[in-house]
Amino acid sequence: MNKSRILSAYHPKATAWLWLLGMILIGILGSQALTRDWLETGFLALLPATEQNPEVARAVQQHNELITRKVVWLAGANTAQAAIAHAQQLKQDILQSGLFKSVVLELPQQQYVKSYQQLFPYRYQLLDAPTRDTLSKNPKDLIGQNLEILYSPIGQMQAANLERDPLLLFSRYFDAQNPVKLNLEQGIVMLHDQQRYWALLITELNDSNLQLDKLETLLDLVNSSQTQVQAAGGELMVSGMPLFTAHGSQSAQQEISTVGIGSSAGIVFLMLLTFRSPRPLLLSFLAIGSGMFAALVVSILFFGKIHIITLVFGASLIGVADDYALHFFCDSFGSKDWNPRRGLAFILPGLAIGLLTNLLSYAGLGFSPFPGLQEVALFSAIGLLAAWLTVVLLFPLLLTGFKPEHEPRILKLATYWQQHWPDWMFKNRLWLGLGLLIFIGGGIWQLTPQDDVRLLQSAPPELMKTADKIRELFPVSQDNQFFLVSGKNQDDWHRNEQRLLESLESLRHQQMLKTYQGLSSYWPDERSQQENYRLLKQTLYDSGLLKQYMVDLGFSEDAIKAELKQFKESENKSIPLPEWLATADEAKQSLWLGCDPDLCQSIVSLTGITDLTALSALQSLPGVSLVDPVGDLSSLFERYRVRASALLIGVYGLVLLGLGLKFGWRNAATITSVPVVAVLVSLATMGWFDQLFSLFNLFALLLVLGIGIDDAIFFFIAADKRDSTSLAVTLSALTTLLAFGLLAVSSTEIVHAFGFTVAVGILTALAGSPLVGRRSSY
Amino acid sequence: MILKALLLFLLSFGHSYAGDMLAQINARLAKTVIASGNFQQEKQLKILRKPLISTGVFTYHQSKGVIWKTLTPVASLLLVNQSHLLTNQGEQAVPATFGRVFQAMLGGDLSRLANDFAITGTDQELSWQLELKPKDELLLKIISTIVLSGDNELRLLEIRETGGNITRIKFDQISHPAQLTREQESDFERLSP
Repeated sequence: MNKSRILSAYHPKATAWLWLLGMILIGILGSQALTRDWLETGFLALLPATEQNPEVARAVQQHNELITRKVVWLAGANTAQAAIAHAQQLKQDILQSGLFKSVVLELPQQQYVKSYQQLFPYRYQLLDAPTRDTLSKNPKDLIGQNLEILYSPIGQMQAANLERDPLLLFSRYFDAQNPVKLNLEQGIVMLHDQQRYWALLITELNDSNLQLDKLETLLDLVNSSQTQVQAAGGELMVSGMPLFTAHGSQSAQQEISTVGIGSSAGIVFLMLLTFRSPRPLLLSFLAIGSGMFAALVVSILFFGKIHIITLVFGASLIGVADDYALHFFCDSFGSKDWNPRRGLAFILPGLAIGLLTNLLSYAGLGFSPFPGLQEVALFSAIGLLAAWLTVVLLFPLLLTGFKPEHEPRILKLATYWQQHWPDWMFKNRLWLGLGLLIFIGGGIWQLTPQDDVRLLQSAPPELMKTADKIRELFPVSQDNQFFLVSGKNQDDWHRNEQRLLESLESLRHQQMLKTYQGLSSYWPDERSQQENYRLLKQTLYDSGLLKQYMVDLGFSEDAIKAELKQFKESENKSIPLPEWLATADEAKQSLWLGCDPDLCQSIVSLTGITDLTALSALQSLPGVSLVDPVGDLSSLFERYRVRASALLIGVYGLVLLGLGLKFGWRNAATITSVPVVAVLVSLATMGWFDQLFSLFNLFALLLVLGIGIDDAIFFFIAADKRDSTSLAVTLSALTTLLAFGLLAVSSTEIVHAFGFTVAVGILTALAGSPLVGRRSSY
Repeated sequence: MILKALLLFLLSFGHSYAGDMLAQINARLAKTVIASGNFQQEKQLKILRKPLISTGVFTYHQSKGVIWKTLTPVASLLLVNQSHLLTNQGEQAVPATFGRVFQAMLGGDLSRLANDFAITGTDQELSWQLELKPKDELLLKIISTIVLSGDNELRLLEIRETGGNITRIKFDQISHPAQLTREQESDFERLSP
């Protein structure tokens, strides 16, 4: 064969130099890549880019912009006074942390005053919907309402500007700008439930993508504030997307170290037990280290930034990258006159096929729509490649003179196992096969797929509970879903949005949502402004109703004249949208998406949705579409679950084809049967144990393919070295199992799903692979 | 009635100047959970040449809040407790002034009054009078003084606004029933769903 040709062209020193050069190159690249900010922590970065048109993507981004930075704090106590005291202390601590660009406790009075003054001249044009409604149905009702207000003991507030606003028109309009009525105490929003008063504090982070240390500072701040407030007899509730991110990163960090340390400890233990020499151990870590470093550098260069979840997966690579080295070392037990050159020549075909199938299965991950999994794919592929190259290029030189003299106990164990286990299985094949069939059939029958966005997020239940509680107390936080309203021009947009708001109002009365926010309910367009003026003129001013009302109340003649004059002079006023927007608060400003030459768009945000289907039906209105990022994502999950299944079958077919061409169809079928059974058992176990089954499990099954093929191939080509092969397979299975088993304890669903699926697959492959090339029965 | 707890509170904070006097006033007041009666409210708004006069009935319940039913000249209903305010126009924000004064006056959370108001007063044989000045600057922008006076009941409440408007509420025919009527119960139900 061409083995001798490979060997004659092979110079361990030359290849070692090649390796060194490569690593230096990566080191240089790494010194650039790793010194800038390369770690992504936000939950939204994990979501696939929206598949819809760019306008929707822009709307989603703008809608999320406020959400991703906002942290809501509620300081609670038995009295409002104490709640305010807690909140004020809290505000100081928050300001000191320097994490936030805005900290709002006392509502900005001046901003209200300013916006009042700016809008007041347009009071005859700016009418709120209920006022308009009352006027067009029965103008006298408005007068009646006014009297009620004026005679009530709270009238002072609403009638504060009675002199200039005798009809309380502007007071009505201004009041309607904030549909949710919040009680203020000393200018602070005060919420109240059965037990406590809650003072509200809203903060906005400097940066929507905080670095790890900043996230830690945030968590520390939350924890220390909570302790402080509790010590003072109060209670503190905090919620917001940044907290979810911080908790996610924290658990990811923990998982990285659990998986990393666990896998490494496992490797150290097994290596020392087996080889009783530090050399294989150090070389293993050299291979793993080179792989991880190359993986990190190349991934950052390619993606710009990588997500912390990728690193959790990356940590599990330790257990996989070690396999090539293990096969090399274990081979040394296989023959008496072993040397590194001959060893490499023997295992190289197996290593090459192993690498190829592994790369192929990780490449499959790259087809997923999730940035996270794409990063995992590249990271792992590069990591494995670099580890493999280290083994093949560097180990022959560094293993010179390596030959273990002892016969480790674990080798004896592996030998015993590989001799008797296949025979036992073969003897009992009938009921084993039957049992397996029932297990697989029953398990797969119980599989229920889930396509849910919460797979990507891990949040401690207390945090979820707090978030719910805050939403209940403070029903202002917007839901994920929103309407995108479009029009050919501003008039068209305004008409479309008005139509939508009308329908929403009737849905609101049917309790299908709590509230909604649309610009056009606050800003009537210029034509509506003229209509409003005409309506007032017709119903109150020209009809003499206004005069009568003012006389009855006791206004002076002069006051009445002044009012009539004011009204007359305001006839041609109107306020355009940009000018109006400048007076609005940030939340309202963020509803406007702007106008292109032939397209104007806005967001209508929704709060407290109870019936999404009813809202969805409103899309039949012109220019209205419901954007549901979470729902879209779930349907994306579903679609990709189907695609991933096809991909899985495709990759298996490809592997079967490749092996068939090299080893013959019969052998290829035998080899492939190992991962196929492993995949089926994996799926069935998920069913039996009622595990979450989603597309992430399917992507994990690609890895089972890679590892299963590895095991089977090594047994297939083992020939008379079955004992050392079974040792290598067992050891590498154990280290890989450890790595993925540790992933399975993760609190993030996708990480857990991966770990569980791969761990079960590896166990099955380990059990099944010795049957390949079994000879003791002939 | 309502003043009892208020005065107790003030005493406990040891306002030495008003201490004895408040104790004496307190001793004179009727003390019950429920109070109801008639009111006459007179609002003098600077820009109106005549006062806005309204009459009606009120019901106070120590824990449930206040029903303020105006009968003339326009019938209307106002329900208020510590965190909710309902009028014919629907749910409203509880304005700080109103919430504080009504709540404190009608017995809710009294700790707030002592912290928020500087209190002076006189106690004579037949009647007593207290003047409350807001300490809070925001509140002071709206209300300059609140005057309370009475004998064994609160008889007069006067709110003097900084802008010159004055609201004067007189109470009479005050009674202390042991139970709420069914109508009053159902009004309070609406307030705390």
